[in-house]
Amino acid sequence: MDQNRQGARASYVALSVFVAGWILLPSAVRRLNREAFVEFQAPALHLVGKSRDLATFWEKKSRGSEELVAAGRDLARINAALELKLKGMEDVRRENTRLREVTRYNVPAEYLSVVARVATRDSSSWWQRIVIRKGRNDGIRPGAPVVFGDTVVGRVTAVHLTTSEVDLVTSPGFRCTAYLEGDDQNRIVLINGVAANSLGTAKARVCVIPYDYLLPAGTPARVTTTGMGGVFPSGLTLGYLDGGAYATQVGNFKESLLVPSRDLYNLQEVSVLVPIIQTPGEALMQGDQFQ
Amino acid sequence: MRERADTKVLPSTPVEKLRLYVVFGLFSLGFLYVVGGLAYRQLIQSRDLKEQSDNQSRRIVLRPPARGRIIDRHGFVLVDNRARWSVKADLAALQKEFRSEYLRLLAAERARQAVQVDTERVMELARVNVLQGWLNKVWFVIDENQPKALRKPAPGEATPLVSPGERKVNIEDLRKHLRERRALPFTLVADLAFPVADAPGGADQGVKSVARFIEQFPVEGPIRLESDIIRTYPFGGMAAHVLGYVKDSDDLPPNVDDIAEVRAESMQKLRQTGKTGAAGVELSFNHVLKGLSGWELWTKTSSGYNQTRLKYSEPMQGSEIRLSLDLRIQRTAESALAEIKDTQGVPLPAAAVMLDVQTGEILALASQPTFDPNRLAGRITFAVYDEVEKSGAWLNRATQGLYPPGSTFKIITAIAGMRRKVVDWDDILECGASYRVGDRDFPEHEPVGYGEVDLDKMLAISCNVWNYQIGLRAGPDALAAEARRFGLDTPLLETSSADGNGAAHTELPYAAGRGLVVPDRDYKLRIKAGPWQDGDTANFSIGQGYLLTSPLHMAAFAASLARGETRTVPTIIHDPNRDGRHRGSSPIGLNNAQLEAIRGGMVRCVEEGTGRSARIPGLPIAAKTGTSEYFKNREKAHLAWMIGYAPADRPVVAFCVLVEGQLDTNTWGGKTAGPVVKQMLETWVGTGEKPAAEPAR
Repeated sequence: MDQNRQGARASYVALSVFVAGWILLPSAVRRLNREAFVEFQAPALHLVGKSRDLATFWEKKSRGSEELVAAGRDLARINAALELKLKGMEDVRRENTRLREVTRYNVPAEYLSVVARVATRDSSSWWQRIVIRKGRNDGIRPGAPVVFGDTVVGRVTAVHLTTSEVDLVTSPGFRCTAYLEGDDQNRIVLINGVAANSLGTAKARVCVIPYDYLLPAGTPARVTTTGMGGVFPSGLTLGYLDGGAYATQVGNFKESLLVPSRDLYNLQEVSVLVPIIQTPGEALMQGDQFQ
Repeated sequence: MRERADTKVLPSTPVEKLRLYVVFGLFSLGFLYVVGGLAYRQLIQSRDLKEQSDNQSRRIVLRPPARGRIIDRHGFVLVDNRARWSVKADLAALQKEFRSEYLRLLAAERARQAVQVDTERVMELARVNVLQGWLNKVWFVIDENQPKALRKPAPGEATPLVSPGERKVNIEDLRKHLRERRALPFTLVADLAFPVADAPGGADQGVKSVARFIEQFPVEGPIRLESDIIRTYPFGGMAAHVLGYVKDSDDLPPNVDDIAEVRAESMQKLRQTGKTGAAGVELSFNHVLKGLSGWELWTKTSSGYNQTRLKYSEPMQGSEIRLSLDLRIQRTAESALAEIKDTQGVPLPAAAVMLDVQTGEILALASQPTFDPNRLAGRITFAVYDEVEKSGAWLNRATQGLYPPGSTFKIITAIAGMRRKVVDWDDILECGASYRVGDRDFPEHEPVGYGEVDLDKMLAISCNVWNYQIGLRAGPDALAAEARRFGLDTPLLETSSADGNGAAHTELPYAAGRGLVVPDRDYKLRIKAGPWQDGDTANFSIGQGYLLTSPLHMAAFAASLARGETRTVPTIIHDPNRDGRHRGSSPIGLNNAQLEAIRGGMVRCVEEGTGRSARIPGLPIAAKTGTSEYFKNREKAHLAWMIGYAPADRPVVAFCVLVEGQLDTNTWGGKTAGPVVKQMLETWVGTGEKPAAEPAR
């Protein structure tokens, strides 16, 4: 009986010592510890991602020939349509090149594009955050925008050696400015992710919509980046305005929801646009001395 | 057994029992007292105690509403609201940082000096240091031209877009905030877009600042981005004197009656700073525009910071006001006035008014110089205030400016003469180069005189001598009575309705009414200028001397004349159902031939007389010019006038233009004011071919 009691006391003491030690540890050591943990689990994340790729590969390989023929036919049609579009674009590109030569206008590239596969979704916040299989070793820096095609996926919030965490547009930590399709005056609105409950649907809020903005009839209004904030290039699609802006915010402004244009559940691959010049926001995120 | 007998606990004797009962009784009483007290508190006093507790632990925060829009008669927005993005620091969330900085400063202070340290001062310094650190970060992110925040520009380098003062935490503001509104976030940058609004390309730059903050500043943390509403005037200084401007106000319209379960009247209320009208329609219709405040019910911490929001109600926007102004005509009037400049190229002080003849609705009311109310919408700085003051732009010359009407008054002299039957429309008078009154020759503006002049010719050429003669024949009392009959001494823009407080109401604050003078014998004695002389009558007859009126009064007179009546009640509010009846109005009291002669003379004035510069082919205009004298810096200068109506045969609009000439400018009624009238009328008719609207008969 006494032995049991002594044993329990010893374990309480040990726990208290551990907690006190953890609290008293310098923050740098604690951060290092967390980094070490993330790096420790990074190979596992890579393995999960690659396993999924392999599973997809075999799943596709097992499809029947009829299905493949049908898919090939559909692809051919899409290719034909795209080729037509490409021809039109070629003229525009040539004209663009000619004008640049005439005006000697040479715009330096602002971003480096790094393509990355999605390793996993952060289980702590489900589809609000994804982990990609590229990190500091590949030149990715925190704050960089992440896109898929012409669509914004989110922003890099944490970078590790071989992986990075990306907050999706529906994450509460995501915030950016946008233009609404059909607003001739190009007034900026605010996009802010909304914390979803465990079983709820992820969504983002569109705030400060001008009171006199009318939704275009027919197709849903496209919401695009402004390019004014110094993070996202202009004209990228953030999503579409949910039909019917609802309740007013402060009397004069409307609020609505953003329907992300890509299904964020099925992201397989994304591009990280790493700014060539470090932005002030990035410096703040890294805690750099800014004086 | 023995041991058991020693451990006796129950009383055995009656005395012991009695003692025990007394003790029990006392305990019971005490218990009953406690239970009774508790019951009293819980059952009887609970409501009061709960209220007391709520009052101590809760507060109401009032949020200002959006003000109503102001639109012109066609629905164009003249005054609107825009999002103002401000950066605020959550002081409750910064407590740890304050404490840590305080301890650091305290240690440094104690190491530096052994004497007693003023801990209050150190705490204040700690707060300022922490907030300044965050403000530096904000500027670091938003100012793309100064990425190295607070760094002094090198010689030859572009200067910062904002003065360094705007990048410092104002210690006085912080003290006031902690004293009065500790629970609310402290404003670090009041308007992210404002500091650069005046710079070239400033509007875009302002939006960029907002966008940079939104996208680059960390979302989490003690620094918040808040959006509220601020007044915006899309056309800048256009109609600024009519629209007015707003100023900060803590006097929010309360709207907390719907918190049924809370006795809101005894609860602490914190008011976020809102806006109230300070001039123009913004002030006079503040009760319509102001809306209803929103409220939030918060629990508060022991330190006085807000903790949890329990309930809230959104503010309600104020109502919209539709003015009678026509945006197109107003813009034309202002741009035409801006073209009249002195020898230094500075626009001359001037005013222009256009009225709807039938309804009295004001289509344009311009005053120059003007100011941009956008610069006053956020915070009125001394610099901006002084700049407006120095330019003389606070004065609404159309309604508050008081001037001798000069020759435009000759129409009233003629009416007085015909009503007193001292002259008729077809009488011909001999008019020489001057007219002797007493021992003084009153001059004609034509050195050789005009010879034979009738009413029609007098109005066309603006003959002085004709008026000296008729004025003297009718007498000063008749001239004064006629001027009063047309309302030249009656305040305008007053309404019979009352504002929200039941106070008397004018459509424009300080509207035309103060200082108007229609002189007579009593007036001259009252100002101790001696007895009335015939010379005074001669001056009076040509609209000079003591007579003072405003451009709005003269426009209203022109509208009355166009309808053949004595009064027009101008209004700045559009009402499509206005019946066109004017309070206190009566027929002029002239026969058709007399009225026709006046109209004919005014048409000749434009066709071939002094008002030729206003002529528009195809549009008959009836007008009268005037060039009166006034004293500027004790030297004589000229005022250029033109009043009238159009179309002359079926009047729809009446107008008045006044330009204050300077000592070194060549300012004449027709020549200077005529082109302004012409441009306003051209805008009114569209291309100048025909009237834009049928007269409202």
